[in-house]
Amino acid sequence: MSAEKILEQLRGAVLKYDSDAAVSAAKAVIHAKMDPLQAIEKGLVPAIHDVGEKFEKMEIYLPELMLAGDAMKSALALLLPLVPKGEKTSKATVVIGTVQGDVHEIGKNIVSSMLMAGGFEVIDLGVNVKTSTFVDEAKARGAKIIGASALMSSTIGSQKDIIDYLSASGDRRRFTVLVGGGPTTQEWSDEIGADGWGKNAVHAVKLASKAVKGR
Amino acid sequence: MVQILDVMQKALEGKPMSETDYQLRSFAAKVNEKVKEYDIHFDRNTPIPDDPTLADDAFQAAFDLVVEVGAYCTNTNRVISYTESEVKEALRFAPSEIEFGEGKDRRKLRPRSVGDKNPPWCLLGAGGGACSSEQSFLALVEGYAEIPEANAITTPALTRVGGMRIRPASPLEVLGAQRNAVLFREACNRVGRQGMPVMNALSTAESDIALAGAMHPKYGLRQSDGYMICCMDPMKVDFARLNKATVALGLGGPIGMCFGPMMGGYAGGPEGTAISNIAHHMMGILTYQASWFLPFPLHLRYVSSSCRELLWLISLSGQAISRNTHLLSVNLNYTSAGPSTLMCLLETSASVTAAVTSGLHIESLGVASNKEEDRTTPVEPRISAEVGHAVAGMSLADANELVTRLVKGYEDKLQAPPLGKMLFEAWDADRRRPSKDYIAVLKEYRKKMKSLGIGVRGGPWA
Repeated sequence: MSAEKILEQLRGAVLKYDSDAAVSAAKAVIHAKMDPLQAIEKGLVPAIHDVGEKFEKMEIYLPELMLAGDAMKSALALLLPLVPKGEKTSKATVVIGTVQGDVHEIGKNIVSSMLMAGGFEVIDLGVNVKTSTFVDEAKARGAKIIGASALMSSTIGSQKDIIDYLSASGDRRRFTVLVGGGPTTQEWSDEIGADGWGKNAVHAVKLASKAVKGR
Repeated sequence: MVQILDVMQKALEGKPMSETDYQLRSFAAKVNEKVKEYDIHFDRNTPIPDDPTLADDAFQAAFDLVVEVGAYCTNTNRVISYTESEVKEALRFAPSEIEFGEGKDRRKLRPRSVGDKNPPWCLLGAGGGACSSEQSFLALVEGYAEIPEANAITTPALTRVGGMRIRPASPLEVLGAQRNAVLFREACNRVGRQGMPVMNALSTAESDIALAGAMHPKYGLRQSDGYMICCMDPMKVDFARLNKATVALGLGGPIGMCFGPMMGGYAGGPEGTAISNIAHHMMGILTYQASWFLPFPLHLRYVSSSCRELLWLISLSGQAISRNTHLLSVNLNYTSAGPSTLMCLLETSASVTAAVTSGLHIESLGVASNKEEDRTTPVEPRISAEVGHAVAGMSLADANELVTRLVKGYEDKLQAPPLGKMLFEAWDADRRRPSKDYIAVLKEYRKKMKSLGIGVRGGPWA
């Protein structure tokens, strides 16, 4: 099979939200001894970018966005270990989660998928994530950005706790902390000393990209 | 009849499944399948559909969905399955009337039908929106309790206690919940409506421990109040929510399950989200042991319920529920625009009309997406209640014409709505009246509604 055909299969798997097809295409990349980085950049990335744009226009909905993300992750699991050390495969690593005491996940899942579509490696910690877990995981995964989501007025205080915890432990400057979610605002972000407030998923990706450039 | 112990048994012994698989590969896939199987189509030119077959098909699709995918427990990672006969039995035995309140404020919540001439139950207030202080809380609740049409109150949620921002499941939240209960009763006492029920007990108690901590009678909650538990989207539950249900059942307080399926979320577009919205009613009787229901479907982008898609799905859901069940369903609406704007009043008028003419009761409302602290006043729920009473008995065809004309007045502004004024800019709590600017807006609103054939007072001030 030609390299172009294999790239087409990678793109098609993501665009059809098909994890099995993505794994087959990734195996074909390996079998054909193609450059894994090129396969990621020319196959997976443009496809997930298209999916993100369709979601933004509401031509597709959350399940398709997340399934496309799953398909991409399935292929990356095979391809990333083959990328030579030192070669850059993503803009940066983002650790993201919904804060302690809050189990709402839709907004966090959208931002997570859109960040992936925007070229970030995303470590999704899930919901009801302890303050110290955000920080510990960010350190362990070499993340530059921490994304903290909260949907309740009673839980946004946990976003402040992350920043306070980083400050108290002398790690504040190591990470860009972005906050978002229903009851959050720019004023809240400023009040707690966050590095940015994601008004929506697209805006969150812009903030993350800006943060990476600024570092 | 499925009881709380049966729910726990199902949660402990049901089919193991990852949460992602349940949401994406079971729930979302099945909703898609049902939309196609029952040929449900949204028509943006008919925000209030008038097709009984469509409503009955949507109901049957939702019934199938509950039977085929069940609910999901996030603590055990198992599916809580229900048989067809369990769902039918739950629908048959669900309460068809509940009394709330005490003394002269005691009223009976009964089911409504499509085009019902009886006014809707008016659950009025902030829909759990955030307020920054006890002063704001009291100003709002006193204002709500003075609304003549109010049958019950939905309070705001406190965000601070003792100068500290509340943290979830902490003593701050427990104290906040206790204060929520005490202040609610105090506000009602101040305006002479001592028997008024709160029906979102308790908005400040997101955690199970905070609700349990505020249940002692000395904080003022009563058996005749409504106990609200929020469902996790889509059709999920955890032990904390089941704890809340168990505590409320122990008190004998009627449980209302609130659920906010997002259009654009797991159920997809307006058609799938309508099916999900209807299905949540059935899942709620069984899983959350609910005896009344509080749907608040929202648009993922606008975080409000006033665009054509949401008006259609509110109406379709209401028709499906009221034609096929005797369930007590109270629709909560959100606006995109804020207080002291004409757009906010037109938005709530459209959503309330969609709900009331389709057989639902109303909870009104979340203002400006219920996002910011103190961006709400007692005026918006009062207007919603006036509209609710004015449109009771209206036919679906007339409602469609009215809603179409209302929505044309604001739909181009949904992307960037005017956020209006804050509570104390738009509401004079000492004089119990809106600001001069807001009264001018109310006069404009009353004129606009008159031109559309709807007589509303716009409060006693306009």
